[in-house]
Amino acid sequence: MQKTVRFVLDDRIVEVDFARFPELKPTTTVLNYLRSLPFHKGVKEGCAEGDCGACTVVVAEPGENGRLVYKVIDSCLVFLPMIHGKQLITVENIALTGKKDKILHPVQQVLVETNGTQCGYCTPGIVMSLFGLYKNHSSPSLEIIEDALTGNLCRCTGYRPIVEAAATACTGNGKDHFSEKEKEILSMLNSILSGKETMELKQGKQRYFKPFTLAEALRLRKQHPHALVISGSTDVALQQTKKREFLPEILDISGVEELKLFRETGTEYGFGAGLSIEQVKLLSESRIPVLHKILKIFGSLQIRNLATIGGNVGSASPIGDTLPVLFALGASVMVSSESGERMVKIEDFITGYRKTGLHKDELITEITVPKCQEKIKTGAYKVSKRKDLDISTVLGAFRLNLKDGVVTEIVIAYGGMAAMTKRAMKTEQFLTGKEWSREIVVLAMEILAGEFSPISDARAEAEFRKTVSANLLLKFYLETTHS
Amino acid sequence: MNLPHDSAIKHVTGESVYINDIPADERLLLGKVVYSPHAHARILRIDYEEALKVKGVHAILTARDIPGENQMGPVIHDEPCLAEEEVTFIGQAVALIAAENEDAAQQAASFVKVEYQPLEAILDLETAMEKNTRIEVERKIERGDADAVLSHAPHVIRGKLRTGAQEHWYLETQSALAVSGEGREMMIHASSQNPAETQAVVAEVLGIPKNEVEVEVRRMGGGFGGKETQGNHVAAWAALLANATKCPVKIHLFRDDDQVMTGKRHRFLSKYEIGFDDNGLILAYKVELNADAGAAADLSLAILSRAMLHAENAYYIPDILIRGNAWKTNHPSNTAFRGFGGPQGMAVIENAIDRIARFLKKDAAEIRLLNFYRNDHNNLAPYGQEVKNNHLHMMYDKLIGSSEYFKRREEIVRFNREHEFYKKGLALTPVKFGISFTTAFLNQAGALVNLYTDGTVLVNHGGTEMGQGLHTKILRIAAAELGVGTGQVRVNATNTSKVPNTSATAASSGSDLNGMAVKNAIDILKSRLAEVSVAEFKKKTKDDRSRKENILFHNNVVSDKENPDRTIAFPDLLKIAYLKQVSLSSTGFYKTPGISFDKEKGQGTPFYYYAFGMAVSEVVIDTLTGMHRLLRTDIVHDVGDSLNEGIDRGQVEGGFIQGVGWCTTEEMKWDSTGHQITHSPDTYKIPTVNDIPADFRVEILKDVPNPGTIRQSKAVGEPPFMLSFSVWLAIKDAISAVGNHETEPDFTLPATYEVILLSSEKLKKRIG
Ligand SMILES: Cc1cc2nc3c(=O)[nH]c(=O)nc-3n(C[C@H](O)[C@H](O)[C@H](O)COP(=O)(O)OP(=O)(O)OC[C@H]3O[C@@H](n4cnc5c(N)ncnc54)[C@H](O)[C@@H]3O)c2cc1C
Ligand code: FES
Repeated sequence: MQKTVRFVLDDRIVEVDFARFPELKPTTTVLNYLRSLPFHKGVKEGCAEGDCGACTVVVAEPGENGRLVYKVIDSCLVFLPMIHGKQLITVENIALTGKKDKILHPVQQVLVETNGTQCGYCTPGIVMSLFGLYKNHSSPSLEIIEDALTGNLCRCTGYRPIVEAAATACTGNGKDHFSEKEKEILSMLNSILSGKETMELKQGKQRYFKPFTLAEALRLRKQHPHALVISGSTDVALQQTKKREFLPEILDISGVEELKLFRETGTEYGFGAGLSIEQVKLLSESRIPVLHKILKIFGSLQIRNLATIGGNVGSASPIGDTLPVLFALGASVMVSSESGERMVKIEDFITGYRKTGLHKDELITEITVPKCQEKIKTGAYKVSKRKDLDISTVLGAFRLNLKDGVVTEIVIAYGGMAAMTKRAMKTEQFLTGKEWSREIVVLAMEILAGEFSPISDARAEAEFRKTVSANLLLKFYLETTHS
Repeated sequence: MNLPHDSAIKHVTGESVYINDIPADERLLLGKVVYSPHAHARILRIDYEEALKVKGVHAILTARDIPGENQMGPVIHDEPCLAEEEVTFIGQAVALIAAENEDAAQQAASFVKVEYQPLEAILDLETAMEKNTRIEVERKIERGDADAVLSHAPHVIRGKLRTGAQEHWYLETQSALAVSGEGREMMIHASSQNPAETQAVVAEVLGIPKNEVEVEVRRMGGGFGGKETQGNHVAAWAALLANATKCPVKIHLFRDDDQVMTGKRHRFLSKYEIGFDDNGLILAYKVELNADAGAAADLSLAILSRAMLHAENAYYIPDILIRGNAWKTNHPSNTAFRGFGGPQGMAVIENAIDRIARFLKKDAAEIRLLNFYRNDHNNLAPYGQEVKNNHLHMMYDKLIGSSEYFKRREEIVRFNREHEFYKKGLALTPVKFGISFTTAFLNQAGALVNLYTDGTVLVNHGGTEMGQGLHTKILRIAAAELGVGTGQVRVNATNTSKVPNTSATAASSGSDLNGMAVKNAIDILKSRLAEVSVAEFKKKTKDDRSRKENILFHNNVVSDKENPDRTIAFPDLLKIAYLKQVSLSSTGFYKTPGISFDKEKGQGTPFYYYAFGMAVSEVVIDTLTGMHRLLRTDIVHDVGDSLNEGIDRGQVEGGFIQGVGWCTTEEMKWDSTGHQITHSPDTYKIPTVNDIPADFRVEILKDVPNPGTIRQSKAVGEPPFMLSFSVWLAIKDAISAVGNHETEPDFTLPATYEVILLSSEKLKKRIG
């Protein structure tokens, strides 16, 4: 049993032993941990909810080909044990210390030259996002640059100089002083990761379990049925950081590699529940374009690197973005416990507002998506107040099967229209067997508007939701007939 | 010249220190504010006995514990520091806690029991007007007889416009660190745009003289007006706790608390009537501006005043009546925000002109051109000031050409004809913005410049750095005036002990005022040094051909213009001056000349000069979802002779994008009890990198020196904010296209996806 958290910071292995640091607890966020250190105050809190990116740091972990993989994350949402076995890189680590002055990293140097900083408060986060971009892309396209910066709010500059800095700086094939130390860091990380015993942490009334195998995860799940399961923690962490709730018991499955597998057969795709949204986004690009399209505008890169597909399904939020798409695609959820596995259709799995049919001893292990026949048309549209890094107001997802211009099957699923993701059954029924024409669709839109009674909230009024949901059906119609 | 921000390297390495990063000793306590959950209520009882028992809690204070005056209203004393008998808004401070850590503070806060008796609350402008909660009397600016002209005008359009509140969303939330010193001394590290006022407020609540309070501002993580008065609040609270515990106390507001507790840009509800002829020439304009002041006056009257002074924006209107009222409501007191009322005043006329164009079936840009102020005639503002050096026509020609306005207009017409659900829109809007505090006496500044014998310079001035690059501009001014390298000059943190009695860094006036004060100090020093050098040349050459007025400071060398071989290195001269017992330190002072404004009469010369700008924006909207994209923006902006092009461009772009946020996605919503429902970035959406124009072209106007200012420059902080009306009205133009421009669309500010969608739907139904 491991009783400490270990990671690499400032090129050294740091060991956090909670018994020795009474001011820290296992769910202390990486942000608060860093800010408690004398020399890592560059990292800032702007919101404590993953929406501003001022807390952005980079974590490096061993990748497939014996190289380090660098990922940007929001440190305000990550609990300390989640970076076990990783290198934590902060804004203080990016420049080299010269004799008199700092030797700036290319991303820093260029940001200075383009006037990419004004008040400077968002800057450490921006620098880390640029550093992540630098390590992962050479001469990135504008689309990639904008995606890399979506998670960083800046209230001063208007972003243009930051975009310019990204384009100018990221031309080095990722080479920098980190490249030289890669082997050394890798061996430190591998030495930490060689220990596969479950981590069990305790501080005061808080207990934290971090297994590294599925078997252990399932055993702990059964043993501690009240422990809160976390995978990416982008949903759960908010209970602590925003609602200020005390989390007494955590089961952190982020270290279980078996949950991060992807498989493909002749008839289906299997996404391990622990795959990050970013990984699923990349995997679905050529395979399931409709899912890819929605994942491209899911949160920000920092969020997508943390958030998992299992977490999105597990949180069963009425505005969870994958759910309507998974409904439309006819996906299933594989759940496991020590006593076996079962496969549940996604629609049956989601049972209410943030409620699932998961038993107390089960974990989601895979999201299974059947392959679509080629002639089947799919579509999904996310409507939000702001184009990016916003939660859906309404998300509509559609699947259509036509035979000779007549609807043989249609699935219409919405997020944001009810307390849970919901299909428009009446509208589906109405359309089935009818001609797929604009006149019919317009009639269907009226039925649709009567089928839901959405709420008014911070994002929009009910009337807006009703109108938009109907319009999305028309949008889908136009898309299926115009291309 | 493009000198990067003087803190840029510290910013990118994470070394720049903000309040929350200041290393403090182990006695540091965290301050927490317990605030009202009611928009209006009587406080019956406060019981914090349980809370005091929480381990790690050092003090809990309520109004009764304030040693000085329970006041922090900046202009009118109507804002208690801690609520005593009544709370008048949600977020109003009721009790303060000092604790050793966040958890203890949090727990203690949950144990503070406040018993309230809820009272009726006024939560919108209509109710406030009905209940007549006006602050002071109605204000008026009037010329001619608008009513009479309107009654004969060929065409009259009437309407109402709502403009929304805006949250500052400075990345660094309100914060302050108070360190009590010997006796009653209090040192405040503040995030404040107005350290002198922070000092005054702290002195007042502590009941001590100002000379015992020192306020220092190194930098702010953004201000935008939000820290002009409301940075004082956290400072006062921290000071009270530090005074009570004799420990350093830091308050750093949690984001949601900051959004709930602090004031916003004022919501306005405006009514207007505009009369015009067949060509679109405006004959008369009547406008009534109603501002939601919130629970206290704060700066509302000055903001209202600026809204009124910008009600006509860039247009000459012969007969005009501008009326303004600020109304109290039970919301946090609304406050300064970039533009300071200007945007709210201008939005109304810009929208009215847009309506004229639709009515006359003409291009709105042409109507604007027709009505611009002119240089030789039609150049008097409604309040009697002459609009001089007006670049409007020149900018218009430039922009119409460079943006290919009319060609794109045709393309857009074609696009809209070919697309049923996507519509494009285009708009050009101008800005004429008056520079100076409209409260005339505030137009003053001080500086203290120290020269050291190694040739380096330390500049202190009254302005504060909030990211706008003021210190960098000052640094450049000082270097240029002294003829030394920028590397030799450093600008100090702003400190009330170094430069006292200063005005807020606001009204875009930071470099105008402080730059001049620094120049004044340097002129004094140069005069002393010139004398020393004349004496030195005389000693060397044994003649007295060198004269003081011929001494030049250039390239780190001091020389005699008439006798170029006579030179002395600047650092050497300083050493000599020191040995000769000449003071190497001087204060400087500046006041803007010729400014006066009679509020009662609504007449005078409130501004030293005007800044101009113009923008053309193109958007595309999706009428099925209400979502939009900003395709292209072309800006031409006037900054006089730029003090720093990189920084000025940053102000133009940043101000514009902040305005785009206000005009589009930044929607502030409250529930029926007055609780904000958009109290975090989860639901309050400021622009991201994807919301900037896909094609963004900014031109800083060249060869337009501004006479009478520091290095012939112009202020730049606020004016560009209002260039965002080009986006707002381009969206309206796109919506209007749904109804083939035949019907006036429903429209407000912000034009959210909801406005776009529902307004488009209405037009769709109308055309069938
Ligand atoms: C700034 C921000 C932006 C966001 N943007 C979006 C967005 O655009 N679209 C969107 O849909 N969501 C968004 N979210 C919500 C959130 O990120 C997603 O729902 C995410 O997929 C959750 O995954 P996670 O791994 O982080 O979940 P966690 O927080 O770890 O867990 C969420 C829930 O799922 C359960 N759970 C997780 N994994 C399993 C498992 N394997 N077995 C059983 N139960 C499990 C947990 O117990 C918990 O109840 C956003 C969140 C933030 C903070
Ligand atoms: S603090 Fe804003 S994203 Fe973490």
